[in-house]
Amino acid sequence: MKSIQINNNISLHYIEMKKLKTTVTGIYIRRKLDREEAAINAVLPYVLKSGCKKYPTVSEIGKYLQSLYGASLSGGVIKNGDNQVIFFDAETISDKYTPENEALSGEMIKLMMSVIFEPMVSDNAFIEETVEREKKTVINKIKAMINDKRTYAKNRCIEEMCEGDAFAISKYGTEEGVNSVTPKTLYEHYKKILTSSRIDIFVCGDADCERLTEEINKYLVGLNFTPYEKIDNTKLKYKDKINKVTDKMDVTQGKLAIGFVTDINAADKDYPALVVANGIYGSGTQSKLFNNVREKLSLAYYASSSINKYKGIITVNAGIEFENFQKAYDESILQLDNLKKGEISEDEFNFTINTIINALDTAYDDQRYMQLYSLDCLYLGTVPDLEGYKNKIKSVTKEDIVRAAAKIKEDTVYFLTKK
Amino acid sequence: MNLTHIKNDITGETLYSGTHESGLKIYIMPRKGYKNGYAIFGTKYGSVDSCFVVPGEDNQTKVPDGIAHYLEHKMFDMPDGSNVFDSFSKYGANANAFTSFNMTAYLFSATDNFCENLKVLLDYVQKPYFTPESVQKEQGIIGQEIRMYDDNASWRVFFNLLGCLYQNNPVKKDIAGTIESISKIDSDLLYKCYNTFYNLSNMTLFVTGDFEPETILKTVEESIIKNEPFNEEIKRIYPDEPKQIASAYKEVSLCVAMPMFVIGFKDNAIGYDGEKLLKKIIETEIIIKMIFSKSSPLYEKLYNDGLITPNFGAEFSPQKDYAYTAIEGESKDPKKVYDIIIEYIDTLHKNGISRDDFIRAKKAVWGDYIRSYNDIEGFSHSFLTDSFLNINYFNYYDVYKNVNFDDAVKRFNEHFDKNYSALSVVNPVKN
Repeated sequence: MKSIQINNNISLHYIEMKKLKTTVTGIYIRRKLDREEAAINAVLPYVLKSGCKKYPTVSEIGKYLQSLYGASLSGGVIKNGDNQVIFFDAETISDKYTPENEALSGEMIKLMMSVIFEPMVSDNAFIEETVEREKKTVINKIKAMINDKRTYAKNRCIEEMCEGDAFAISKYGTEEGVNSVTPKTLYEHYKKILTSSRIDIFVCGDADCERLTEEINKYLVGLNFTPYEKIDNTKLKYKDKINKVTDKMDVTQGKLAIGFVTDINAADKDYPALVVANGIYGSGTQSKLFNNVREKLSLAYYASSSINKYKGIITVNAGIEFENFQKAYDESILQLDNLKKGEISEDEFNFTINTIINALDTAYDDQRYMQLYSLDCLYLGTVPDLEGYKNKIKSVTKEDIVRAAAKIKEDTVYFLTKK
Repeated sequence: MNLTHIKNDITGETLYSGTHESGLKIYIMPRKGYKNGYAIFGTKYGSVDSCFVVPGEDNQTKVPDGIAHYLEHKMFDMPDGSNVFDSFSKYGANANAFTSFNMTAYLFSATDNFCENLKVLLDYVQKPYFTPESVQKEQGIIGQEIRMYDDNASWRVFFNLLGCLYQNNPVKKDIAGTIESISKIDSDLLYKCYNTFYNLSNMTLFVTGDFEPETILKTVEESIIKNEPFNEEIKRIYPDEPKQIASAYKEVSLCVAMPMFVIGFKDNAIGYDGEKLLKKIIETEIIIKMIFSKSSPLYEKLYNDGLITPNFGAEFSPQKDYAYTAIEGESKDPKKVYDIIIEYIDTLHKNGISRDDFIRAKKAVWGDYIRSYNDIEGFSHSFLTDSFLNINYFNYYDVYKNVNFDDAVKRFNEHFDKNYSALSVVNPVKN
């Protein structure tokens, strides 16, 4: 990865990956996840990608993208620990794969910069019609979170675990927050954050950094950048007692989610050991949850665990018959206890490490995976070094795993059940 | 055996292929510089194939719905009581399988030990092992898979659409079957299906990654268990399907935030595969981009009127014996969306489609094709799906370049006919 400091706030990171037939550009504007700001940040990318000086409407942008051989442009918000990130993502095929050898690659950065730095404005405000429409888009996204019950149960569990912590805030904020956004407040907020936030521009594929830098600089003329606020990554703290929560809905399958606090995140020395511990416990077909909750007891089609690398949270998720709640819960806890006791077979140990290494290597063939991995490292204050990280995973010992597993403490038991 | 190869000058890729004496078709596509390798081993056998005549027999065999998927699950059991996932994990591979309407496929991706993993793949798919106990055990797991889909609104709204479009074609039935139908599955039935559809002459292997084709071929040849290829095709019996749809509208209520809909157009220009089908696919994909993409006047109207959300899209699903276009989204008023779409299509029938839109959309379809090469997994699936339709996805450009505006006009008139359209809706439950 080659990084170029465009100014004190903006960096360009180029990752060459010419074996792929595309170039992907990602622009990430980092904000602190905050109750006051979450909703207005969420509305912003939807308004910006609705039109810009060059291409004023959704339809104009759409036509332009189609003429670039179906290039894509998307945008939205993601939640990375204590960060709320406004992002834009664009992808185009590389020039040599057009039937007539047309030049497309330089066009995407221009379009993205125009979308971000040259929005459609009238009277020091965004266009009212666009803002009202995109507020509805975000509100629909908030409401739609109940649609996928598997993710919903996981999110509800995390929300309960993080009560009082910023991480409980939805990446879209609240409906009330979105409703209170006006074309004027949104424009003021936009102007403020544009020049006072950390912005990372990733280009992955086949590009010319000098030309990119030149193009980017053209859009920054006349802007006064001020230093951005530093954002700490905080881990979730242990609690004294286990929280039990049940939600009722019209569903035919129950969704179990168990939340654990580990006090280890991706910036910690013990993180590789925690990743291996989680792998043995519940990530993948070699794991204890898969082989016991699913294969041995036939309780579930899916039963797995995953880590949040920023907050140091592990969640277990399974879809089960309502009456099997206790059985599935008991088995999940039993398997964790076995892990903590060091009941780890040679096969479980080796297979899990192989599986993790294989998954990490996938980043070398996937432009977006590589970008997001690098972004996480930059935010967490670690160096993006996939090979180094792989070596750390490979050198984890059983003792390391047991030490990390000892820090996994049950926090919340969540069950989505029928009415 | 020998492989032949073709090179594609635009994509820069080379494809090696051949048919083994066992009947297995083999395709190998080297990808220089890729960390991951990927292999997919598929049989032309899916959820729609529950009535067939085994080559050499006279009688029809009827099996319970959901058996192709059940068989896929049971292939993972090994005679020693272990699970084949363990063998893949040993070599660090990520393995999986899936069943669709028309095929069942077993696959893995791996960055190391590729040939060892390939051996595991070829070995377990050629070695069925079912016992009454192991078959029984799966009822609980698949039962939960079916329940999971029962709560999945996108899945339900989609299958309800197929139920509207099709009167008899088994594509309207759930791939996993029902809790009732799978209760009738036993090991004898599984062996019967296995011995019919997993004959290597009904199967295809596609392998891609950074390696020499000869190395892969050697591994494949060593791993093939002796097989007598069928001399004739497996006869698949599908009920007659009238052109007319079964019903124009279906709604159900589930726990969702906003109504979800799928609008479908049943394609009655069916019964062929190969290049003719690929041409139809490309024409239809171009038209779909012209009508439904973000650049279209239709999208602009629906979006600006607040009738759709950004979750809106259309897709063409082509097979030899059935095909349909599905347009899905969320809306506070799905019936109004349906009416506006039909009205817009009527206008296009009257005034004609735009040549400029055609040129732009055709470019975008090419971009999609090139992009499909990036993701070796997705590419492999497309390749395999098409190969069962006698389409060589690798030579896409040869057909693409010949698609012209008049073809698109003809195809538009043929397929986008409101008399063969239907609307399926999932409404939020009222509290």
